[in-house]
Amino acid sequence: MMRPLGHSTFGLAMLVSLALTLGAVGIGAISYEVTHEALEQQLDHRTATETRALLAEPGFDRTAAIAKGIARREGIPGPEHLEYLLVDAKGRHLAGQLDATAPQSTGYAEFLHYRDGRIGQSLTTRLADGAMLVVSADRAILDQTDRRLLLLFTSAFGTMLLLGLGGAWTLGALTRARLRRMDRAALAIIGGDLTHRMPIDGSDSEFDRLSATLNRMLDRIAALMTNLRQVSSDVAHDLRTPLTRLRNRLDEAATGAGEQRDAAIEAATFQADELLEIFAALLRISEVEGLGVRKQFRNVAIGEALIELADTYKPDAEASGHSIETDIAPDVHVLGDRRLLIQLAANLFDNALRHTPPGTRIQVALGVEDGVVRLRMRDDGPGVPETARARLFERFSRAEQSRSSTGHGLGLALVAAIAAAHRGEATLLPGPGFGVAVSLGPIRA
Amino acid sequence: MRILIVEDDQETRDFIARGLTEAGHAVVTSTDGRDGLFQATEGNFDVLVIDRMLPVIDGLSVVRMLRAGGCTIPVLILTAMGSIEDRVEGLQSGADDYLVKPFAFSELSARLLALGRRLPTTQAEPNRLVVGDIELDFERRLVRRAGRRVALQPREFLLLAELMRNPHRVVTRTMLLERVWDFDFEPKTNIVETHLSRLRAKLNAGFDEDAIETVRGAGYRIRGE
Repeated sequence: MMRPLGHSTFGLAMLVSLALTLGAVGIGAISYEVTHEALEQQLDHRTATETRALLAEPGFDRTAAIAKGIARREGIPGPEHLEYLLVDAKGRHLAGQLDATAPQSTGYAEFLHYRDGRIGQSLTTRLADGAMLVVSADRAILDQTDRRLLLLFTSAFGTMLLLGLGGAWTLGALTRARLRRMDRAALAIIGGDLTHRMPIDGSDSEFDRLSATLNRMLDRIAALMTNLRQVSSDVAHDLRTPLTRLRNRLDEAATGAGEQRDAAIEAATFQADELLEIFAALLRISEVEGLGVRKQFRNVAIGEALIELADTYKPDAEASGHSIETDIAPDVHVLGDRRLLIQLAANLFDNALRHTPPGTRIQVALGVEDGVVRLRMRDDGPGVPETARARLFERFSRAEQSRSSTGHGLGLALVAAIAAAHRGEATLLPGPGFGVAVSLGPIRA
Repeated sequence: MRILIVEDDQETRDFIARGLTEAGHAVVTSTDGRDGLFQATEGNFDVLVIDRMLPVIDGLSVVRMLRAGGCTIPVLILTAMGSIEDRVEGLQSGADDYLVKPFAFSELSARLLALGRRLPTTQAEPNRLVVGDIELDFERRLVRRAGRRVALQPREFLLLAELMRNPHRVVTRTMLLERVWDFDFEPKTNIVETHLSRLRAKLNAGFDEDAIETVRGAGYRIRGE
């Protein structure tokens, strides 16, 4: 299958090396041209110098003096590769061994074809009597240099292209190998091994960092999965008891008669309501944990709301022999859902009133510390056993259940969920009795 | 009262329709949003019961369209459990009350009665309520029974006001929690009962007749005469 080049590491590296080679070829072509031109100019310069020297030969008869000069120069072997031709106005040969037809026009000629096949670069000058002087330099040197340059450049570009290709392939192979390992890890996880993690070689490369991030994500998912499994099994376990009771009541109703049957039906209805209450609490918790409630967040006068709530609970508290002491800053505001915040505080009040003996003091404090709203509710009741403290904010917490025969262990889980939805948290206060600290934030200025 | 029920679930629809018919109301049912919308504008209803999730046109859109068309018939929205957002959206769409499924029939019945006799929302609430020998003045926050002043705590005042807004009709515990305390959940403790017994004690001091009647399994009712 053919993929566009830019979509794989190899293709991408290949494209980059191609572009670089093309650039180098461009630069090569320009330097080749510049060098070539410079050499041609040098040849022109030599023919001009030589022409000037010949024209300066001493003698009265200029043409004869030049012919003599030519003969003398041709007599000395040298590496100059210069050749001469002197013809009179009618084109008759006067001097010089240059075996070519003299050009008709004066000036530089780039290509003068010799009769033996060689090519020269010439300068033609007309003398006073109409004779033509041709000084020509063999272009063989030039061609040789050109060929050498071309060879040099070609081999350099070839090497570059090969190196680029090799580099691209290596890069592609390394990336593929690394990604293949991550791919294998992902496939293993898809296959069901949720403990599998992305490979990390400690190089702190971008792959390593990506793997580390993916692993953190996987840890989070694993934690949520564990939580979900825990909750599912807890739900199943905790619903069995009320469902069994409901079934037994319905059994009684089916077999009983008269008053006994009516009582059984009433009891069954009560059990069904209890179940619905558990479901409502569970749904409320998952709804709050889903964080969709944040869309409805408004500025809530939590201080005032809490004072009202404490007043609401005071008659109940007095009736059961409890006392409520408040230290609530009335002007505290928080960004949140008013009803959820009221439910959070009400759950804590309900807890304190139901799970402590008469005579217990309940202290409520609300204030702002370090830009965070802090709610503290503490009682001097019996508290909870040390072993149960860790799981107290989880659903169906056994410790919370054991505190009361009617609780389902969902109240504090909802408190924690509401605090989290408000970007805060619920924690247990140290010390005797039972105390919960709830932070909520950010506060509204 | 003439009541329209728009609900696609047959079991719920039959359960509501049967109960309301037995209670002496004229009930018309509809199973989808489009038909419900048509019925609501055609029939002369006192109150509408509309499910949140309906085929063709959803419940909230039905309410929005009714309100946009100038219809002021009180609407009660039924929603599924676990729907804080639904409650807010429901009230924003123009519904007058909402009830979370599953519910006790007595709860629905009490709410429909309260809605059906309610004054149109455009009309301002009167400054003064009088039921039987009890008189409540919102402006001066004053309560009198047979001309005798009764001193109430703020919560007790609100509680009495809610009962007096619904003279001779049952107000449920849940309605009181919502309207007096802004609770949308059931607290584990008896705050409604406690506050009500305090209110009752203050109102009844020096009188033989109980001003507030407890309707077993349903709620509370202010006694008229």
